Amino acid sequence: MTQSLQPLRLRLQQFLMYGFLLLSALLSLFPFLWMVISSTNTTADINQGKFTIGSALLENIHKFVTLVDLPLVFWNTAKIALLTTALTLLVASLAGYGFEVFRSRLRERVYQLLLLTMMIPFAALMIPLFTMMAKAGLLNTHWAVILPAISSVYIIFYFRQCTKAFPRELLDAARVDGVSEWKIFLFVYFPVMRSTYAAAFIITFMANWNNFLWPLIVLQSTEMKTINLVLSSLASAYFPDFGVVMVGTILATLPTVIVFFAMQKQFVQGMLGSVK
Amino acid sequence: MSNKRKFNMLAATIGMTLSVLPAISHAADKQLTVWAWDPNFNISIMEKAKDIYAKDHPDVKIKVEDFAKPDLEQKMHTVLASGMTDSLPDIVLIEDYNAQKFLTSYPDAFSPMDGAVDYKEFSPYKTQLMTVNGHTYGMPFDSGVTGLYYRRDIIAAAGIKPEELNNITWDRFIELGKQVKAKTGKAMLSDDPSDPNMVRILMQSAGTWYFKPDGSLNIKDNAALKEALRLQKAMVDAGITTPSVGWSGRVSAANKGDVATVTNGVWFIPSIKAAADQAGKWGVAPTPRLNIAGGTNYSNSGGSSWYVLSASPNSKLAIDFLNSTFSKDVGFYQRILTENGAVGTFLKARTGAAYQTPDSFFGGQKIYSDFATWLAKVPEVSYGQYTYEADAVIAALLPSLYQGTPIDEVVEQIDQQLASQIQP
Amino acid sequence: MHKNNRNGFDRFYDVNGWAFVSLALGLIALFMLYPIASSLWLSLHSGKGLVVKFVGFGNIIRLFHDPVFHTALWNTFIFLMIQVPIMIFLALITATCLNSPDLKWRGFFRTAIFLPCVTSLVAYSILFKSMFAYDGIVNSFFHMVGIIDQPIPWLSDPFWSRVTIIAAITWRWTGYNMIFYLAAMQNIDKSIYEAAKLEGVTPRQCFFNITIPLLKPVILFTSVVSTIGTLQLFDEPMNITAGGPANSTLTLSMYIYNLSFKFVPNFGYAATVSYVIVIFAALLALVQFKFAKERS
Repeated sequence: MTQSLQPLRLRLQQFLMYGFLLLSALLSLFPFLWMVISSTNTTADINQGKFTIGSALLENIHKFVTLVDLPLVFWNTAKIALLTTALTLLVASLAGYGFEVFRSRLRERVYQLLLLTMMIPFAALMIPLFTMMAKAGLLNTHWAVILPAISSVYIIFYFRQCTKAFPRELLDAARVDGVSEWKIFLFVYFPVMRSTYAAAFIITFMANWNNFLWPLIVLQSTEMKTINLVLSSLASAYFPDFGVVMVGTILATLPTVIVFFAMQKQFVQGMLGSVK
Repeated sequence: MSNKRKFNMLAATIGMTLSVLPAISHAADKQLTVWAWDPNFNISIMEKAKDIYAKDHPDVKIKVEDFAKPDLEQKMHTVLASGMTDSLPDIVLIEDYNAQKFLTSYPDAFSPMDGAVDYKEFSPYKTQLMTVNGHTYGMPFDSGVTGLYYRRDIIAAAGIKPEELNNITWDRFIELGKQVKAKTGKAMLSDDPSDPNMVRILMQSAGTWYFKPDGSLNIKDNAALKEALRLQKAMVDAGITTPSVGWSGRVSAANKGDVATVTNGVWFIPSIKAAADQAGKWGVAPTPRLNIAGGTNYSNSGGSSWYVLSASPNSKLAIDFLNSTFSKDVGFYQRILTENGAVGTFLKARTGAAYQTPDSFFGGQKIYSDFATWLAKVPEVSYGQYTYEADAVIAALLPSLYQGTPIDEVVEQIDQQLASQIQP
Repeated sequence: MHKNNRNGFDRFYDVNGWAFVSLALGLIALFMLYPIASSLWLSLHSGKGLVVKFVGFGNIIRLFHDPVFHTALWNTFIFLMIQVPIMIFLALITATCLNSPDLKWRGFFRTAIFLPCVTSLVAYSILFKSMFAYDGIVNSFFHMVGIIDQPIPWLSDPFWSRVTIIAAITWRWTGYNMIFYLAAMQNIDKSIYEAAKLEGVTPRQCFFNITIPLLKPVILFTSVVSTIGTLQLFDEPMNITAGGPANSTLTLSMYIYNLSFKFVPNFGYAATVSYVIVIFAALLALVQFKFAKERS
C-alpha cells in the first residue's frame, strides 16, 4: 500500500470492473427496453421495426384486459407459485439437510438415484403422470400442478451443497446443549442459511411462476389457466397482436421482479458478525 | 408410518379439490366443450356459431377454450395417448395436414360424420384428406386457397399490367420478377429456405403430394416436386428474392413493402391489411402454375376442420351443432367472411353477398369472389400421415440445394431420409 | 421428539436421517416411480399413437441408424461444450464484482443482470428473432461500429444460428447462476479477504485461491444443473430458430418433441431418446463430481 503504482492499478481495476458491469447491465436491460417500447406501439409498427415510443399503450392495455381476465389469471399463477415455493423449500431443505448431516451408505445410494431422476426429460414422464392425475380426479385443478412440483430434486441438491458450507461446530455445540434435532434445524440451521433460503425462494418462485408445459397439459378451462398459457395463445395466433402481447409480458414479468427485490435484503445480509 | 401419512394426505387433497372442482362434467347436461386456437379467427367464429345454435337450442351450453396451436396439439396427443377419454373435449379443431395422423394413430377416437353430413356440398379437396378406411370424419372448415398477391404500384412501376399476371407459369413469373427488380430495385418475393410452404403449394397445384394415395413415398419420380425445387433455386439465383425467416418474417416483408408479391393462402389477407398505409395498392391473381402435365393455377396452403370425439357422451349433439351451422347456414359464412376474413369451403356460401363485395384495400377487386371460384378447382390430394416429417426433411435439405448440390442428388437424399423417418 | 440416547447413537442417527428425508422421498416415490417405470416399458415399444407393438431393443438399434438423432446429439453437445463453461465463468466474474465491498449502484447492477432470467419465453424469443433478423438491430449496430460490411445471416446460416442460440442462452441464464454464487459468497467471512489484502495478495489471486475453492460446492451444483439443462435444451432452439436452418440447432429435446407431437407420434422411440439424455447427463455428472472430489 506504499507503492505509488498502487492507486493507478487500483483505478484500472475499478475501471475495468465498472466497465464490465455496465456493459453486462446494458446488454441485460436492452431487451426490456425494447419490450417496454413495443408495448406502446401497434402491431403494424412493431412488424415494421419501429423503435420509438408510440401512443398505443393505453389501447394495448385496454385490449389486453378485455381479452384476458387479468385478476383471475394472476391469482391462479400466484397461488400456484407461492404454495409450491413454500412447500418446496420446506421439503427440499429438510431433505438436503438430512442427506448431508446424517450420512449413511444407504442414503447416499438413494441420493444418487434421486439425482438420476433429475436428469430425465419431463416429456418422458408426462403422459403417465397425466394418467395418474386423471385417475385421481385432479385434472384441471391447481393441485395437479402443485403436487408433482414440490419434490424438486434440484432444490434438494442445492440445499445439500449449501449445507456442506454450514459449520459443523454449531451443530455439535447445540447437541452438547441437549437441543433436539428438529429444534436445531429450525433455530440454528434456518437462521444461518438465510441467504440460501432467499436464493432458493427466488429461483423456485421464478420456475413455478414461469412453469408452462405441465400446467398446459393438466389445466383445461379458462378459469384455471396461468398467465403463461394465456400469453402463449395470444402470441401464436395467425396474426398475433404483438403490442398486446408485450403488455401482457411486462405484467407477467413484474411479480418475479418484485419477489427478487423483496428477497434482496436476505441476500445481502449473510453472516454478519460472529455466530458463536 | 410415512405411508399412512402419504395416503391421508392424498385423500385429504382429493377431498379438498373435489369440493372446489369447477363443474365440467358433461354427462347429464347438454354441454359441449370445444378446443381451438386463435382468438380472432377460429375462436371468434366458433363463438358466432354457438350464438346461432343457441337461438333454437337454448338448453345447450357450449364452451370454447383457447390454446395456442402447438400447445393444443400437445394436449391432444397427451390425452389421447393416456387413454383418459373423460378429459377430452367434445369438439376439436385439427389442421388438415394433421388429420390423417390423428385419425390413424388413435383409431376410433373420432366420430365418423358421413352419415350426417353431405360432403358434396363442400370443396372436393377437403373431403379426401379426412377420409380413412371409407369413413369421413370431420366438418370441413376454413380454406387456405392460394392466390398471388401483388402490389399494383410496384408492378406498374416495372411496366407490367395486372392482366399479365393472370394464369401464368412460374417461369414467366421469374422473368417478370427480373423486370421488377431491374426497374424498381424491389424483390419479387421473400424466400425462406427453412420453410417448405412454397414446395407444398406448388405440389398441390399439380395434384400431387409427398405421398401417393396409398401412402407410399412419392419423391423420386415426382415431377412436380422436382420442378418446385428447381423453381425455388431458380428464383434465388435470379436475384428476385429477399430472405425472410419464419412466419413473422414473411408478414413483415409484406408490411414493410420489401416485396412486390406474396403467394400464400387466403388467410394471409388480414396480415396484408395490417399495413394500413398500403390500402388500395394490392391485387390478387391466380396462383402461377407449374409448367408440367397436370399443372393448374389453383392450390391450397393450410386450412383446418372440426372433429368430434367419439368418447364424448354428447357426440350426436356435437355433430348436430356443427351440421346446422357449418353445413347449412349461408348467412353464417357471410358474417365470418366480413368479420373474421374467413373463407369457408361450403360451396353454397359463395353465392352470398359478402363474397361479391369489392374490396377497396385491393383496389376494388372482388377478391373473395375470385378466391371462391378458385376454391372449387383446387386439386384433391391426400396429405397422408407424414407431412410434417417430409416438411422437416425438405427444410433440412433445401439449403444444400441452394448451395449448389445437383437437384437429382437432393431428391435422392430427400427420398432416403424420409424413408428412414417413416416407420415400417 | 427423538431420544438423545448416546447408547443407541447409530439408531438415533439413522432414524433422524430417514425422518428428515422421508417427506421428499415419499413425494418423489409417489410422483415419479410409476411414470419412470411406464416410460421405460414404453421405450421397448414402437408404433404410432396408441397402435404400438413390442420391439425390445429395436428402438436402441434405430438410434444408431438415425441421421436426425445423430445431428441432434452433435448439436446438443456443441451447445454443452461451448455455452456452459462460458456462462459459469461469466457468472463467477459478475458475482465477484458484485461482491466487491465498496461497489456503487450495487442494487442496480444486480437487478439488471438478473432480469433476463425472469423474462417470459414468449417475449424474449420474439425479441431475439427480431434483433438478430437480417435487417435487425444487431446487424445495424455492428455495421455502424464498423465491425462488419455485410449483414450477418444470423438466423439463416447454420453456424451463425448456433451462435445466436448460445448468445440467447448465455444472456438468459448467466444472471441465474450469478445469484447462487452471490448467495454463497455472502457466507464467506469478509475477514479472510481483509487478511489476504494485508498480506499483499492480488485480487486475481484472491479470486483463484480463496473464492473459487470456497465456492466449490455451489459451482459444482451450477455446473451439473447447467449440464442437465443444456442436454435438455428446448425452449430457445424451439422458439428462436425452430431447430433450423437445416437442423443445425435441432437439440435432443426438440427431437423428442417432434417425435411425440409434431410427427406421427412414436412415444416409445421418443422415450428411448429421452433415456439417452439421462445416460449422458449421468455420465457427465459423475465426471464432474469426481473432478470436484479430486481437487479437494
